[in-house]
Amino acid sequence: MEYTYNLPPMDLMRSEKMTFVQLIIPVESAHRAVSYLGQLGLLQFRDLNDGKSPFQRTFVNQVKRCAEMSRKLRFFKDQIHKAGLVPSPNPASEPDVELEELEIQLAEHEHELIEMNSNSEKLRQTYNELLEFKMVLQKAGDFLVSSGNHAVAQETELSENVYSNDSYADSASLLEEEMQPGPSNQSGVRFISGIICKSKVLRFERTLFRATRGNMLFNQAPADDQIIDPASNEMVEKTVFVVFFSGEQARTKILKICESFGANCYPVPEDLTKRSQIIREVLSRSSDLEATLEAGLRHRDTALNTIGFYLSKWTNMVRREKAVYDVLNMLNFDVTKKCLVGEGWCPIFAKTRIQESLQRATFDCSSQVGIIFHVMDAVESPPTYFRTNHFTNAYQEIVDAYGVAKYQEANPAVYTIITFPFLFAVMFGDWGHGICLLLGALVLIVREKKLSSQKLDSFMEMLFGGRYLLLLMSLFSIYCGLIYNEFFSVPFHIFGHSAYKCRDATCSDAYSVGLVKYRDAYPFGVDPSWRGSRSELPFLNSLKMKMSILFGVVQMNLGIILSYFNARYFGNSLDIKYQFVPQMIFLNSLFGYLSLLIIIKWCTGSQADLYHVMIYMFLSPFEDLRDNKLFWGQSVLQVILLLSAVIAVPWMLFPKPFILKRLHTERFQGRTYGILGTSDMYNEEEPDSARHPHLDEFNFSEVFVHQMIHAIEFVLGAVSNTASYLRLWALSLAHSELSTVFYEKVLLLAWGYDNIVIRLIGLAVFAFATAFILLMMESLSAFLHALRLHWVEFQNKFYNGDGYKFKPFSFALLTDDDD
Amino acid sequence: MGFLVTTLIFIVVGIIASLCARICCNRGPSANLLHLTLIITATVCCWMMWAIVYLAQMKPLIVPILNETE
Repeated sequence: MEYTYNLPPMDLMRSEKMTFVQLIIPVESAHRAVSYLGQLGLLQFRDLNDGKSPFQRTFVNQVKRCAEMSRKLRFFKDQIHKAGLVPSPNPASEPDVELEELEIQLAEHEHELIEMNSNSEKLRQTYNELLEFKMVLQKAGDFLVSSGNHAVAQETELSENVYSNDSYADSASLLEEEMQPGPSNQSGVRFISGIICKSKVLRFERTLFRATRGNMLFNQAPADDQIIDPASNEMVEKTVFVVFFSGEQARTKILKICESFGANCYPVPEDLTKRSQIIREVLSRSSDLEATLEAGLRHRDTALNTIGFYLSKWTNMVRREKAVYDVLNMLNFDVTKKCLVGEGWCPIFAKTRIQESLQRATFDCSSQVGIIFHVMDAVESPPTYFRTNHFTNAYQEIVDAYGVAKYQEANPAVYTIITFPFLFAVMFGDWGHGICLLLGALVLIVREKKLSSQKLDSFMEMLFGGRYLLLLMSLFSIYCGLIYNEFFSVPFHIFGHSAYKCRDATCSDAYSVGLVKYRDAYPFGVDPSWRGSRSELPFLNSLKMKMSILFGVVQMNLGIILSYFNARYFGNSLDIKYQFVPQMIFLNSLFGYLSLLIIIKWCTGSQADLYHVMIYMFLSPFEDLRDNKLFWGQSVLQVILLLSAVIAVPWMLFPKPFILKRLHTERFQGRTYGILGTSDMYNEEEPDSARHPHLDEFNFSEVFVHQMIHAIEFVLGAVSNTASYLRLWALSLAHSELSTVFYEKVLLLAWGYDNIVIRLIGLAVFAFATAFILLMMESLSAFLHALRLHWVEFQNKFYNGDGYKFKPFSFALLTDDDD
Repeated sequence: MGFLVTTLIFIVVGIIASLCARICCNRGPSANLLHLTLIITATVCCWMMWAIVYLAQMKPLIVPILNETE
């Protein structure tokens, strides 16, 4: 026993020792000190300005500026994404930029981008209009040629006379003059041409008909290409229309209706030559505009590319600055207003490193005053910090999912690393499936570096995080599969000959009486003769149920022993004498005895009925055992064990509250003035349930009820938890049966036929069923049940799990959530 | 092979594994203790599994009765 006292502390067993520190930082070195601390990542700041709203804090302006900058950066990221570019970081590293400079640069870039965007918007709109005009010219031309030539002939003559001398003038003036209203109110038929969305054409026509009382002629033709509708930014189909009408009033009405329906009207000259001239002008202008637009796009893309070089660097910088200012907001100004005071938790092993960083910050700021860093006492319990690596991280997380360990209590993760994959494997045992899981785990581990830098979706991320868990689960599954002798439910004779053979050469009674055991037991695992026999299930069920009970009793004993180590570590001898000892006695005199009986029955081959033995141990302990006698002295032993169990119950229920009350009155005798006691007094006999701030209160009834609940939970839980371990039997039976069904009823059935197609189909169905049902669903199921066994049956023997996790201020832990 | 012989084999394998762990990843006394605990736990678990199945087959109460297959 002496040896166990001298062992060094185990790595993951208890959380790191923490200390509460106070920092006094002069204002000029505050920013640099906090950013160095952020790089180190080992100090958890306490928020001293808890009561203040975000707008009452000191550095609220800087936080606002950082938020504004991150908004601009998000805008750039959006624009880059919309333009379809991929931001690639610049290989050449530029010198670091100061925050103010960065702010100015970002403002400039944003301004530039917004300007470019609006310009290209305008250009695009003009381009659209030209396109529409072109379409109207092309289609409307057909209508005008076919309809009402003669009626308009006079007008064209007139217009020709007016405009003939200008026909070779520059195109702009021709276009402009065409926009003017046509020759003065001649009473002839006139027309309006334009373009409208295809979906609105019918209603448009009807409205026009009603408005002009039927005195109009409506011609339409669909446009050849789709056009971008500026309002919705999508490609829509448009229809070119021409409305023939007469009279000025009709014209105003039609124009108003066009406007309300969003139809764009473009004047089309009736003369063919003029039309073709205008078409040529429109085409040349639109190609000019196209070139301009493209140049504008290229310019914008180059600007976005240059921004893209620095985008990730800038985003990181802004994120860090915001975090630093958030932490600075947690600090308080002291009375002189020249220093900031901060408080926090840090692990003891990190103290020197923190002091080094603070000294470096003072030096780099060329500040005259050093930063003061000293240890303080704290009332509250420290946070829990476990230093994990890639391997142990997954296990610590699944333990933390149930509850974070109290400061410095025993960490169940140490044993969970082995027992969790082992119990999974007991329920999953099949070395064929285990090999599949092993391949999956190896793939994840080999591509570790590549996958850890990628961004994975949540399912793959969970799978990747648990890759070492998966590796151990698969290794233990292979081992248990070899023991159960199942390879996709097929047994093999790997470890020698079976122990059973036929009674005689003809094997005549193998089907009625069965085989006979002629050698020693099969050396490793379940004998392959059992598979497929009629008595397979009775044998395996008995084996697996007893195995579950044995594993359960061992794991629960481990839990109670861990509670002993906890009590010894915290110096709580009360817990050892009045909780650990009666618990061990109770559990082992009942279920430990059952385990002993199981082993004796196996070793001696007795035919005793263990249910009978256990039940009558309680009902009639003094009766003669007759057939159920397994060893000499069994009745006496049973009576002794029963008495011990009966004594253990009041032993764990009554003494502790009374002794606590006596200790409390002894300590506070004569202390009627209130509490002056320091924390030293409570180091020796600290009751684990009495950590309340008002130490003069001792509510006896509360403590007694608490102890009673604890005792009843243990006593009843002893039975229910032991029975709960039978799920190891249940799930392994289910796995084995499913596996057998898929093998015999799918694969063998399909293989029986001679047809290659049926064989392939059978193989495919077998592969799918194995992969989805056995590998995925059964894995999840066994994972869940093994987890439950750990969380409830193992941990409720010793684990408190009411601590809080250590969350240091660290740049490495900043995530994208802030954006 | 016998119960005791195989138990001895398990113990020897456990000792060899802990020696290998001590040689390959020697990272200070507290980490070594953790590795030793893990190896002992694994050895005990695996031995228990084997021992239970072996003991159950040493003196069985029933024998395999073959199924009348087609």
